[in-house]
Amino acid sequence: MMIGKEITIALSGNPNSGKTTIFNNLTGLRQHVGNYPGVTVEKKTGETKYKGYKVNVVDLPGTYSLTAYSLEEIVARNFIVNEKPDVVVDIVDSSNLERNLYLAVQLMELNTPLILAFNMTDIVKKSGKKIDISLLSELFGIPIVETVGSRGLGSDKLLEAVIKVVSSRKEKKVEVKYGEEVENEIVKIISVLKKEKIPTFEFDVRWIAVKLLEQDRDIIDTLKKTSGPKYSKVEEVTAGAIGHITSILRDTPEIIIADGRYGFINGALREAYEEASLKKVDISEKIDRVLTNRIMGIPIFALIIWLMFQFVFTLGKYPMGWIELGFGKLSVLITEIVPQGLIRSLLVDGVIGGVGGVIIFTPNIILLFFAIALLEDSGYMARAAFVMDRIMHKIGLHGKSFIPMIIGFGCTVPAYMGSRILENRRDRLVTMHINTFMSCGARLPVYILFAGAFFPAIAGNVIFSIYLIGVVMAVIMARVLRATRFKGESEPFVMELPAYRIPTLKGILIHTWERTWMYIKKAGTVILAISILMWMLFTFPMVGNNYSQDYKGKVNEIEQSYQSGEITERELDESIAVIEAKMAGERLAYSAAGRMGRFLEPVFRPLGFDWKMVVATISGIAAKEVVVSTMGTLYSIQEADGQSDSLKTALYKHYHPLVGYNFMLFTLLYFPCMAGMVIFRKEAGTKEMLFQIGYTFLLAWAISFLVFQIGRLFI
Amino acid sequence: MRKWGFRHRGGDARKTPPINNRIMTMTDAVQGEKYRIVRIDGGYRLNSRLCAMGFIPGEIFYVSGASRGGPLCVVVKGTKFAIGRGMAERIQIREI
Repeated sequence: MMIGKEITIALSGNPNSGKTTIFNNLTGLRQHVGNYPGVTVEKKTGETKYKGYKVNVVDLPGTYSLTAYSLEEIVARNFIVNEKPDVVVDIVDSSNLERNLYLAVQLMELNTPLILAFNMTDIVKKSGKKIDISLLSELFGIPIVETVGSRGLGSDKLLEAVIKVVSSRKEKKVEVKYGEEVENEIVKIISVLKKEKIPTFEFDVRWIAVKLLEQDRDIIDTLKKTSGPKYSKVEEVTAGAIGHITSILRDTPEIIIADGRYGFINGALREAYEEASLKKVDISEKIDRVLTNRIMGIPIFALIIWLMFQFVFTLGKYPMGWIELGFGKLSVLITEIVPQGLIRSLLVDGVIGGVGGVIIFTPNIILLFFAIALLEDSGYMARAAFVMDRIMHKIGLHGKSFIPMIIGFGCTVPAYMGSRILENRRDRLVTMHINTFMSCGARLPVYILFAGAFFPAIAGNVIFSIYLIGVVMAVIMARVLRATRFKGESEPFVMELPAYRIPTLKGILIHTWERTWMYIKKAGTVILAISILMWMLFTFPMVGNNYSQDYKGKVNEIEQSYQSGEITERELDESIAVIEAKMAGERLAYSAAGRMGRFLEPVFRPLGFDWKMVVATISGIAAKEVVVSTMGTLYSIQEADGQSDSLKTALYKHYHPLVGYNFMLFTLLYFPCMAGMVIFRKEAGTKEMLFQIGYTFLLAWAISFLVFQIGRLFI
Repeated sequence: MRKWGFRHRGGDARKTPPINNRIMTMTDAVQGEKYRIVRIDGGYRLNSRLCAMGFIPGEIFYVSGASRGGPLCVVVKGTKFAIGRGMAERIQIREI
């Protein structure tokens, strides 16, 4: 019995070939999600055991080919070439052989140990078509295994085939020929590569020659970099070859080569497959006639998004309430056990206040990703993008961008995570960068407080105007970002509209769990650290005995007057609460955050803000709704919330309505919160996160500056 | 050939109807009719991409739907794709 033998297999395949289902079948819950080094392409790995082997399974991104068209394709190719998995398993949708085998042929050309998994064979059998698997396997020179991923069939046979390939390494097999003209040029390029001693790394030299004819940017750049001036000779020969082929065959080499690959596939299929012609798209076609209808498409989309929003936020409210209750109970418990002092404050205000405030969004995250997985696995997501593409295209975004933007009205954190549905990095980043302008739920208490304080008669309209300004800013900034930082022709829009399928519960649950777990992990680590830091900012340095008034003496006085019966118990409690709130206000003013507020006041003066507003803004970094309670503390109002009338009165007395409106604007525009930024960094990298913080802050400042300075002229 | 109740044109309705066998672009295709791809003018990257998805000269396809002014739904090699108008304009086709 063999023990401890470890092998690595890589799963490759077209999008919608059922690759993820096979991956889930092979590995179950033993999965790990990360990113490929240096890029945002998701890397899923997992493991399984089979006959004494420990099998590591890597799920490569789903691609149609191995050209350098997209990041996913380069990542998949580089993984196969550099990491040299023991076997590559290409998952093939057997109801659509010709198209799926295109990738298989490219993998063959890479000369990597390969197995084809013919997935969804049940559909083929049902439709009455016949595939001569053993003949195809012989023609391609590759083992073929039949699987039905949706019913979990064939995984053992697949692993058996893997072990067989690993233990009996075969040398190079069938080669695709591209016709005499192209072959002649390939020979010329190979000879110049050899003559100039150009390093070809781990690649097969013939493969390099073919890639040069296809003008593969990634390969050309690599060769240029490593071989320097020697490369010019290769460049010359390649350019000659491309010109020669184009002039004789009247099509560019990349098309001729693709044609050669399809020719090879069709040659094989003609012998081993009963029917290799245009397949009918039937039930899906009928559904599409409704869902992507010219007139009904957008209303149906709007309805589905509305349902999703309700599902995520209305249904999520209940478990959120329970979690809130739980943390509340925990706070009470800690207050009872831990004596008053710094440690209690750290635990209750810092840790529970911070981490609890983030954990509380978990139900939203679970429901959101459940809904997204449902839309994606059923095939609707691609239709949504199709339906919305025209409108979103106008502002420089992708049809799918609409979904995270809508989610942003609920909470920006899941919206950032939801941006993953955009495959193109540029689309994804622009969508994330503008998402903060979709006014999230946590900002609403701030608006309610300020609109209520300054514009009680028209509060609703004022709040609506803020939401509207947010949407307008999102549209403007999307265009600006597209024209500047994320310049370049927008990615041409081609996207598969896969046949509708009933999603498997297992697949959806795994997907949901991955995201949720990632979120919880962040709350426990980075967000915990930041929460403690924020707590320290708002706690130290401490006033000690340096209060401006003798509050303790006052408390004693009041208590005495209570004991002598001069005031009632209720009056006693109220007076003490007022004093305590004043003390809290002074403590806050004395703390580092309070000092920062004073220090930064000159920066915010041109916006009409005083230091208290600055401190509230700083506290809003932790979470926007905290702005309200900070304002309450600063104005020595106990129990501040959006409804607090005494706080509204205090604000009304202190600020001009213009400043109040301006503060709402500022709160809308600057980046959402620390949880949001932590997730932003995780999704897009530190650089992009810093850009997000910097640009939203500058923008918030600039807009508020203009509004205040111009508005001032009229008051 | 498959019959559709109405003959929607995938492209701009104001254009004159295509004359048989004339070379036109994919946006001129009549919904439900079959055409053959003649040429793709996309530059090597786009060409490779389209070829990998099955859009290759000589291939037969039909347009199954379109959103007004937005992308087209095209079925090629048994799979349906949404394809932007800008891209569809670079694909030359011919009636069969």
